[in-house]
Amino acid sequence: MNSILTDINRRTFVESFAKAVFGVSLLPSFGITHAAENKVGGKAKSVIFLYMRGGISHIDTFDPKPGKPEMGGVKAIKTSADGIQISEWFPLLAKQMHHVSLVRSMTSTQGIHDRGTYLAHTSYFMTSTITHPSLGSWAVKQLNPVNAVLPGNILINGSPQHPRSGYMPTQLAPLPIVDPGAGLQNSTLPKKISESDFVRRIALAKALGTPFVAQTPHRDAAAYLKVQQDAASLMKSEDLKVFDISHEDKKMQAAYGNHTFGKGCLLARRLVESGVRFIEVEDAHNWDTHNDQIKQMENMTPSTDQTMAALLEDLHQRGLLKSTLVVMATEFGRSPQISNTTAGRGHHPGVFTWWLAGAGMKGGYIHGKSDEIGEHVAEKPVTMPDCNATIAQAMGIDLQKIEHSPSGRPFTVADKGKPVDEVFA
Amino acid sequence: MIDSRTISKFQIRGLLGICVAMLSIVGQAGAADSLRFEQDILPIFYHHCFGCHSEKQEKPKSGLRLDSAKGIIVGDVIVAGKPDESELMKRVSLPHTDKDVMPPIKGGAQPLSDAERSMLRRWITDGAKMGSWVKFNHRGAALPADDVVLSPKDVKQLSLEVQKRIDQFHVDKGTKLNAPASDETFLRRVYLDVIGRIPSLEESTRFLESRDGNKRSKLIDELLLTEGYVSHMYNWKADLLRINSKIAQGQPARLYDTWVKDAIRSGMAYDEFVRKLVTAKGYLWENGAVGFYVRDLGMPLDHMSNMTRVFLGTRMECAQCHDHPLEPITQKDFYQMVAFTYGVSNLGSPGGYSPDNVKQYPEIKAKMAALPKDEAFGQSVSGTIAPLKRLTLDTNMQLKFPDTYAYDISLRGKLVEPRTLFADEAIISGDDRRKALGDWMTSPRNPRFAKNIANRLWKRVMGVGLIEPVDSFSALPNPEHAELMDFLTQTMIRLRFDERAFMAVLLNTRLYQSNAVRENPEPGVASALLGPQLRRLSAEQIWDSYLALLVKDIDKRKFISRDGGPLDPSYLRKLTLMTADEIIAQARIDQAEHTRKREAGLRRMEQQKALAAAKNRGDEKEVKRLTAAHAEANRGMAAEPEGEPITTETDPRWKSLPTNFIRASETPLPLPLGHFLRQFGQSDRREIDAFNRDPNTTHSLALMNGDLTTRVLAEDSYLRKQFAASKLQGQQAMQLFYRAILIRSAKDAELAEITAVMKASPTPEQDLIWALLNSPEFLFY
Repeated sequence: MNSILTDINRRTFVESFAKAVFGVSLLPSFGITHAAENKVGGKAKSVIFLYMRGGISHIDTFDPKPGKPEMGGVKAIKTSADGIQISEWFPLLAKQMHHVSLVRSMTSTQGIHDRGTYLAHTSYFMTSTITHPSLGSWAVKQLNPVNAVLPGNILINGSPQHPRSGYMPTQLAPLPIVDPGAGLQNSTLPKKISESDFVRRIALAKALGTPFVAQTPHRDAAAYLKVQQDAASLMKSEDLKVFDISHEDKKMQAAYGNHTFGKGCLLARRLVESGVRFIEVEDAHNWDTHNDQIKQMENMTPSTDQTMAALLEDLHQRGLLKSTLVVMATEFGRSPQISNTTAGRGHHPGVFTWWLAGAGMKGGYIHGKSDEIGEHVAEKPVTMPDCNATIAQAMGIDLQKIEHSPSGRPFTVADKGKPVDEVFA
Repeated sequence: MIDSRTISKFQIRGLLGICVAMLSIVGQAGAADSLRFEQDILPIFYHHCFGCHSEKQEKPKSGLRLDSAKGIIVGDVIVAGKPDESELMKRVSLPHTDKDVMPPIKGGAQPLSDAERSMLRRWITDGAKMGSWVKFNHRGAALPADDVVLSPKDVKQLSLEVQKRIDQFHVDKGTKLNAPASDETFLRRVYLDVIGRIPSLEESTRFLESRDGNKRSKLIDELLLTEGYVSHMYNWKADLLRINSKIAQGQPARLYDTWVKDAIRSGMAYDEFVRKLVTAKGYLWENGAVGFYVRDLGMPLDHMSNMTRVFLGTRMECAQCHDHPLEPITQKDFYQMVAFTYGVSNLGSPGGYSPDNVKQYPEIKAKMAALPKDEAFGQSVSGTIAPLKRLTLDTNMQLKFPDTYAYDISLRGKLVEPRTLFADEAIISGDDRRKALGDWMTSPRNPRFAKNIANRLWKRVMGVGLIEPVDSFSALPNPEHAELMDFLTQTMIRLRFDERAFMAVLLNTRLYQSNAVRENPEPGVASALLGPQLRRLSAEQIWDSYLALLVKDIDKRKFISRDGGPLDPSYLRKLTLMTADEIIAQARIDQAEHTRKREAGLRRMEQQKALAAAKNRGDEKEVKRLTAAHAEANRGMAAEPEGEPITTETDPRWKSLPTNFIRASETPLPLPLGHFLRQFGQSDRREIDAFNRDPNTTHSLALMNGDLTTRVLAEDSYLRKQFAASKLQGQQAMQLFYRAILIRSAKDAELAEITAVMKASPTPEQDLIWALLNSPEFLFY
């Protein structure tokens, strides 16, 4: 009886695992849509979506206003891209700016965290009659998988409020990786349980479960017996190693940083190498700096700078940046005025910055402009749906294709946002 | 007369804004020889035609109305006896790709099925008879008055009455109920359905060994009065009402949870429960029911869509933006409904301080003006009174037709008068629109209110509704189970909306106590009433069942909330009553507290930096020293975020468990994504019933390797302790585990199988517990 695991071809097992867990079988059979035909875009095989929770200040990061009192004494520095300056708090990322398109004219109407976050992820306003899918679910819904085994949509250190697959089937929801240092949750044996204990137990579970399934035509009953066997195989599978960053050498781990965001981005890069379509990594920092702006930024930026720079450099070195789009997104910016009373900055959806790098984006490019103190959009406003449409276009997702919710409501990726054509090289 | 030129206008001209695809599933063809217009043909017209061709539209397409006998026979729309000459028959028979096909696919409507087409053809061939039918009554009729009052004493009789109707159904169909469920099967099922978890060993043994002939109905009555019932019922209602304890920032939203739980516990009648929600006024700390509105801050349209869906089984959300393309529900109908609640302060009106919500506001303003200007202190005062902004009350804000209203341009920007969607009109006395809405909605005359809750509770225990989908009510008659549904509706009304008594009626039927239907339910096919539908346990049922294996009396364990803080209800009650001077004094305290917190935050930041540096250097000694020093420096400063428990458990029954191992109903939402409950598909409560029960390999990983299983296997788990105390061995020990986990005895073949596998095992008990927890049987009922 204990031979059940070894008898079966590992690959077959893991493929069926992928079908059962990640809904690969639910993916459409048509190929990559040709929205991008005669158009720019379509080069992003994978997207790494870096999310800065809480609303990261634009002035203190990627849209500095040198010499203005709004800077609170923080300086702007030169970067590897001619004529582009960013905040002194990102000295490492400054050396990667030749890869980056900054969109400095992002604007939104949603100044509350959960509503802004929802809009950033789904491109739709939050309502309480429907939940819209996040961009990653659109990607795996519309695009063929590059890797048929692994899930196409992964969320690292995601917030509980993440809209996930919304009204789309849960198989399209991102697989959450709670702790990027620990890999796929529950995929290793608990302490004190030996391999032989496990083999014995799984055999017993199968033996005891089979008669129940035999007398229960309900499809889900059989499916549970099957996913159990699949899960057992997965635990022994080589593919599980993709989730294990300890296989990276120490130097590489150190370059990304020994913290959640660093580990998350390193894992994201491993997943990109394995053909995962959409990986979101949420920064563990809370950028909601209502108090003591300068001190908090001083504290939080070094690790974020280190990781973002390491990620771009690593992807570039491996030649992956050509086919990987890295995006930095956040729900809103922060007010140009530093409060006299709290020394912090308030929520500011009026103007803020997202950036895009790789996969055919211009490098060392600035799109749009905020006014001289970073309070309003001065040129070329870009909404979150616009920017998400840009990402979708870069991936080759059909912006026109209508997907219906189960209640029959029609939706399109990025809610009719207009892609920012200028950022494509 | 309609000539062919007019007919061509029939096509997709000006389907303004209509953008919805299909929803409805229309009944199968009726019996071959007895086509009845109202039962068989009218539903086809309703679902495929009335969206554009009825009196409900301001301008029915092509002027054609198919909702009256007179409208149907106009011109050559229908030529009695000659389907091939009937324009309607021709148009609905065109291929989907033809631009003249009806209904227009581009508008999102669903083409007629072959069965519907052939039924229509036969009806025309037979002379297109409509009997005495004159026109469709879109509003439907109110239910007649019924003065009979029943009580829990009548449950037994009512149960028999329900069963009688089920038996009659089987006589008519030539079918019969599944075999009666065994005591064991009944026991597990009734625990899961009523209190949301499997029974403990003691509970099982007590019931199974009882010789009382009435033990089943006694157990039902007992369970309905437990705290477990409150917990499980709460999960159900919270999924419907989308209760998420963290949804309203800066408000003690958990008081809405508490209000709902109290209402369930106290046995508040369901109609009263709904009336109290609909008419709720005040602050959350005065009346938790206002959470119904605070939950949907700034979303008055969605709020109404959700309300009609959960309380009236009627979906209107399509009509938020345009006339419903598949049903005769217009955007105007929808706006007229919203007009009842639009003025509620937390729905439509913007937040801000006013004497309406903060009565001390004018005086505070005056006093502040007299003080020397101090921006920081001004902000502190704003912060202190911030919770008072969310007072739920009726304002004089009124709903207007949107600027995009397409069906009658002259109405754009005009006030919308409230009007009910169906049956009676609401009687508005004075200005109290919400009272009028609540009274209309919950009236025993309302044809959908009692029926909705009766059908939903039926589904809750039987696994599938008598009417499916449960929110597909319309003015059409029920296609199936009409008489049984009517009887259940009447029973709900006569029991004066006593949910416990109604549940008891259902649980005492032989139908409920029959073996489960083990096949997948077929969408669009009415329940065959053979037994309850087999289904997977909900995430909450699995979690709660696990906890029952871990500790004793889990149902009684509650969330330990932190006292004090700005959202403490007793503080908020005080704040509400404070004078302007007292509020200003409070603001000084708050300001000092804020400064203290800021300093603590900065200190913590420095501490973390130092600690991280020491860790990076690998200086274990320094790490230790810093950890101790920081703990000392931070003494008395609560680091936990709002609402997290910080007190430790003192009750010996639960000391072995972390404080957040409480029943799902007690856990503040939303939970982190990797949490067991989220993995198994707990709703995030963004939408109605947004739970999910699809199999997923991550479930198996959690059940095999996860923390919960590890805890059940540990020696100090309740199950292991009970086993140790029993001193049972061999097959008797196996039987104990079967009874504890699967709530049944093991069969001989199973015992043999286990014995064979266990022979060489160093950990036979753990092996068996593990295998039973990982058996699909554990996940279904």
